[in-house]
Amino acid sequence: MAVVTLSNGGAGTSQAGPDRAARLGACLERARNGEMDALGDVVRELNPLLWHVARAEGLSAEEAADTVQTTWLELLRRLQDIQSPRALTAWLVTATRRGAWRTRELSRRQAPDGAERLELTPDPGPEPGEQLLSGERDSVLWQHFQRLPERCRALLRIVAHADRPDYSAVAEALGMPIGSIGPTRGRCLAKLRAMLLDDPGWSTP
Amino acid sequence: MEHAVTDPADLPLDQQDQAILDRLAAIHALLDPPPADLDERVTFAIALDDLDAEVARLVEQQPVGSGARSAERTRTITFDGESRTVMITIVDRQDGLVRIDGWLAPSAPLQVELRLPEPAPHRTVTADVAGRFTFDSVPHGFAQFLVQPPEDSALPRLVTPAFTL
Repeated sequence: MAVVTLSNGGAGTSQAGPDRAARLGACLERARNGEMDALGDVVRELNPLLWHVARAEGLSAEEAADTVQTTWLELLRRLQDIQSPRALTAWLVTATRRGAWRTRELSRRQAPDGAERLELTPDPGPEPGEQLLSGERDSVLWQHFQRLPERCRALLRIVAHADRPDYSAVAEALGMPIGSIGPTRGRCLAKLRAMLLDDPGWSTP
Repeated sequence: MEHAVTDPADLPLDQQDQAILDRLAAIHALLDPPPADLDERVTFAIALDDLDAEVARLVEQQPVGSGARSAERTRTITFDGESRTVMITIVDRQDGLVRIDGWLAPSAPLQVELRLPEPAPHRTVTADVAGRFTFDSVPHGFAQFLVQPPEDSALPRLVTPAFTL
């Protein structure tokens, strides 16, 4: 079986590929040596991923921002123990999820009896704002995505924001199966993919 | 080679999968982007000279409503650390600045530092024996607290997340 290499092109927004991993590694190294400015670059690279981790766990926007920030603060003490960009991503994703669970638990306790807070509804993320989506393919994708179980939507939302060098790390942190040659598609993506390939709106350009 | 029995879910990701994930990322980035100031807030919060600190989490934030003078808005924030809790009340003053009344629990006359973005100097006060402290005439913007441990303690200092005044 051939090892599938994912294309470096695509519509991803951040710079993917080994360059990014090398750059993050260098920043991490500098930060460990006390150059805290270097950590700023790492923050800018990984904040979107962590934001979507917190939002996928059902936090409100305000709670998600606080949780992401607290995760970075907690990282400071651990900086010396984290050796690679891969380990850094895994640690941050795991810590953000834990922080999100804790926050969710707290807000549940603080909510008045019987009053279910709106923010506690799982996956408060993207409003049904299809009108914002420009292309037809995006609309088709979004429609099918919305039909997935909530757990799958949360998972795919996070995985989609992982860049290739971090992919295995994120998958591992989320408890997703990883095959011997890297991350596998998994149930959720397989399901979405099957729905899309059946839809002429996606498969015909 | 038993291709027929392979579950599609067990296959490695291919370019079609990557295309789907890329579009999903783009859609989520469009529909639910992180707050515009998140990067700035985090970089401000982690720019500390000493990395060894206990992190107090923001556990509650609520408006207390307007005071007797209607122009005065008040809100409270609670930060919960393992060793100590920091509670603050932020009062908007008429002149566009804010006053912060704080309380440490368990109470102790510890040094409390208010970090503000450069070039504003950091401010330091010492809490009274009841753990109360005040910072007055503070400008709006990001802020963060650092609470020094008792002198005889082996504990690190306590740091709060950055919050917006």
